[in-house]
Amino acid sequence: MKKNAFSFLNFMPYAVFFACLLSASTANAVIDVYEFDDPELEKRFIKLTYELRCPKCQNQNLADSNSELSLDLKAIVYEKLNAGETDQQILDFMKQRYGEFILFNPEVNQSNALLWAGPFIFLILIGGGFFRWYLSNRDLDDE
Amino acid sequence: MSESENKTPNNRTISAKGIIAVLLFLVFVVTFYFLIGQDKTELPSQLINRSAPAFSVKDLHDPSVTYTQDVFLGKITVLNVWATWCPSCYVEHPYWELHAKNKDVVVAAINYRDDRKKALKFLADRGNFFQWNLFDEKGRLGIEFGVYGAPETFLIDPLGKVRYRHVGVVDTDVFESIFVPMIERIKQEQN
Repeated sequence: MKKNAFSFLNFMPYAVFFACLLSASTANAVIDVYEFDDPELEKRFIKLTYELRCPKCQNQNLADSNSELSLDLKAIVYEKLNAGETDQQILDFMKQRYGEFILFNPEVNQSNALLWAGPFIFLILIGGGFFRWYLSNRDLDDE
Repeated sequence: MSESENKTPNNRTISAKGIIAVLLFLVFVVTFYFLIGQDKTELPSQLINRSAPAFSVKDLHDPSVTYTQDVFLGKITVLNVWATWCPSCYVEHPYWELHAKNKDVVVAAINYRDDRKKALKFLADRGNFFQWNLFDEKGRLGIEFGVYGAPETFLIDPLGKVRYRHVGVVDTDVFESIFVPMIERIKQEQN
């Protein structure tokens, strides 16, 4: 009896794992609302909805978000792809209305130049410091 | 005595480095305070000082009436974006009765992603203070305006340019402190 209970507990992680798998497949089903004749368009749709941020939920992309606004914006992406618009045209449409914020991969501009350049400035500073330390240590060895 | 003399210059170089480090640290603190201290969840409108988007949308009350962006011309318009599914809109609605008393502006609205029946019942129950109400059933007009949540309120000048967008409830305080000074400025520009 004791052994049976033990084996049931052993089985629990597998049960949880399969439950997770099931729920994952239902989550996927939501995304498949949009049907594409051309697999290339579908690829571009997935790429664009991953690149665009939901303005309402802000830390989710359009692909992950099921807010009403995201659904509207996804519908627009779908329509525009089928109408033959380029990725850049679609991104520009979104940018015109919601600003650069809607791009998950922000472009370099004045307001964020420091943020982009920061790591390289640090690298140079640290590299320079290390080099000076190395030089002074080498001098000590020579003495 | 000679020992303490030897130590002093050493101490001084350390403290000079320390001062630089502290200054650098302060520069970072100040920079990040201004970068991060802002409320980044509020998105700036892309339409400020630009023409309101072109549209052709039906009236909420009378579907045979269609409005275009020309409706803004010649008047100062305070355009509220609202919906019956928006909890803050219930809080905001009574304030529109007060704002509508301002003789310098047309108080109008976009009923955003809503159900016509529910919207009409809302206005019948709580009073209709909007001179006209656009019925944006699918939310496409909202997207043209860059709306990302209701309530939002736009101030549009007589040339049809968007001058300001407020996200959230426009209560008496917001109206008096933000909208009224801007309305006065637009009036002065006209003269």
